[in-house]
Amino acid sequence: MIKRLYIDNYKSLVNFELQLQDLTLLLGPNGVGKTSVLDVMFGVRQLLCGIVKVNDKAIFAMPTLTRWQDRNTQVFELDVVLNEDVFRYRLEVEHEREERKARIASETLRLDTRPLFEFEHGLVHLYRDDHTTGPIFGADWSESALARVPPGHDNHKLTKFLDFMRKVIVCGLHPASFEAESSTEDEVLQRDGRNFSAWYWHVSLERQELVPEFTKALQDVIPGFCSIRMEKVGLDTRALKVKFDQSGKRYEMRLDEISDGQRALIALYSLVRLAAGQGYTLFLDEPDNYIALAEIQPWLVGLRDACGAEVPQAVVCSHHPELIDYLGGDRGLVLRREISGATTVRPSRDMAIEGGMKLSEVIARGWEL
Amino acid sequence: MSRNVNVVILCEDRQHEVFARRFLERAGSGHRILRVELSPKGRGSAEQFVRERFAKELAYYRARRNRVGQALIVLIDADGRDVTDRIRQVESRCVEVGNERRQAGERVAIFVPARNIETWFAYLGGQTVNENDKYPRLERERDCKQHVDCLYDMCQRGGLRQPSPPSLEAACVEYHSRLQS
Repeated sequence: MIKRLYIDNYKSLVNFELQLQDLTLLLGPNGVGKTSVLDVMFGVRQLLCGIVKVNDKAIFAMPTLTRWQDRNTQVFELDVVLNEDVFRYRLEVEHEREERKARIASETLRLDTRPLFEFEHGLVHLYRDDHTTGPIFGADWSESALARVPPGHDNHKLTKFLDFMRKVIVCGLHPASFEAESSTEDEVLQRDGRNFSAWYWHVSLERQELVPEFTKALQDVIPGFCSIRMEKVGLDTRALKVKFDQSGKRYEMRLDEISDGQRALIALYSLVRLAAGQGYTLFLDEPDNYIALAEIQPWLVGLRDACGAEVPQAVVCSHHPELIDYLGGDRGLVLRREISGATTVRPSRDMAIEGGMKLSEVIARGWEL
Repeated sequence: MSRNVNVVILCEDRQHEVFARRFLERAGSGHRILRVELSPKGRGSAEQFVRERFAKELAYYRARRNRVGQALIVLIDADGRDVTDRIRQVESRCVEVGNERRQAGERVAIFVPARNIETWFAYLGGQTVNENDKYPRLERERDCKQHVDCLYDMCQRGGLRQPSPPSLEAACVEYHSRLQS
């Protein structure tokens, strides 16, 4: 579980620190940096998967520097607790403004304050699980050197951290972009969920025993829903099809033929019910989009029950009253921009709430500030 | 299947919610007929929210009372008050806004753990308890599942293990007379 996230010199996030629980709701007006938090998590995850470089547009490119700061270095820190192990991952990204280039100035991973991995001045220092010094070698400044460390018999701890981070899902679902066909199984859902079919293919094979319960949940939620299957439509390609029963008449539709709301419901229930027990940490941007008002709380209750158990952790950004009122009281963190421009955070339980008002009513009036 | 809420749970905090929800689910209420209204302040300072909200929810209940299975369930800790006094306090807001107090026959149940819900958990966990001492909170809300199962089994057997906390005895009476009759 990610206990702490520290961000400095990234958009509006300056010397910014979040303490996270097993389920956390990020609240606050537009532009305070809720999505920026998710962007950072996405960038770090992508770097640690070894599939991007630090200069890539959607990662830590120069426009992500805080505009009113002159400093050229961004700092990101994650404190992660896995079983009894307390990891601290720290990444420093240095920008050269004139050349519009970024490089990794420093990347470290520590376990209980003792080093497992250090990258500085272009050199990697590896340490074994018992923290004795391992190999030293040169590495590329433009990408995560940690991501390039292969699993070995003496780096189980480092590998455990990497495996955890590679299962972080950062997602703002955009159902219209969901692709029905896939020729691969994907272990991680993409930022907008477009590879949902490929991810569904993977998780449903990994946890086939959960499919009946997942199917039952969707039967309760989507009128006429019967089941989902991946139909073979080419040599290596399968298409996600949804079977319906309308007054005894059965028919199938491809994922890209059903409504945006139905796609969103299938994806949201997959994240909670089907991905259960697979170690996915969820960062979800406005999951309430597209789904009917009456369906938000039942899904949230399921998410709340799963968090800390089948789903290790979830961080949710939302403006929706249903999420604010259900989660805000004990799981809410309110972000706000100070006069300086920087974003600060405080627990929503510290807000003064008058009488019988709901938290969403307070926020709707702007009285949380 | 579209959602159709029948049972509203109005409570002080997450622990109350999980306890009530799991008990009702254990007793056969599907989760999709339940709706939770949770105080934003948390326990100890939620009394005003529960009172204000109770008056509204009671009015909503009465508007739909003729439909099958409608119910309103309130959980609020006694926190040193007498249970009857606490119930009267919750009901008083209805009178202030010009509505009738809850009537006999209305499926509106108010459960008041004394001293608080941790007292019930300690009892259901096998301890002999009194309603004055403070008992520790559960580490995680979901840990109340075993206590819910224990309470449900006692309900099925027709009575609580003795000696039982009077507030839980009162809650059993409330449950049977308001929700099961």
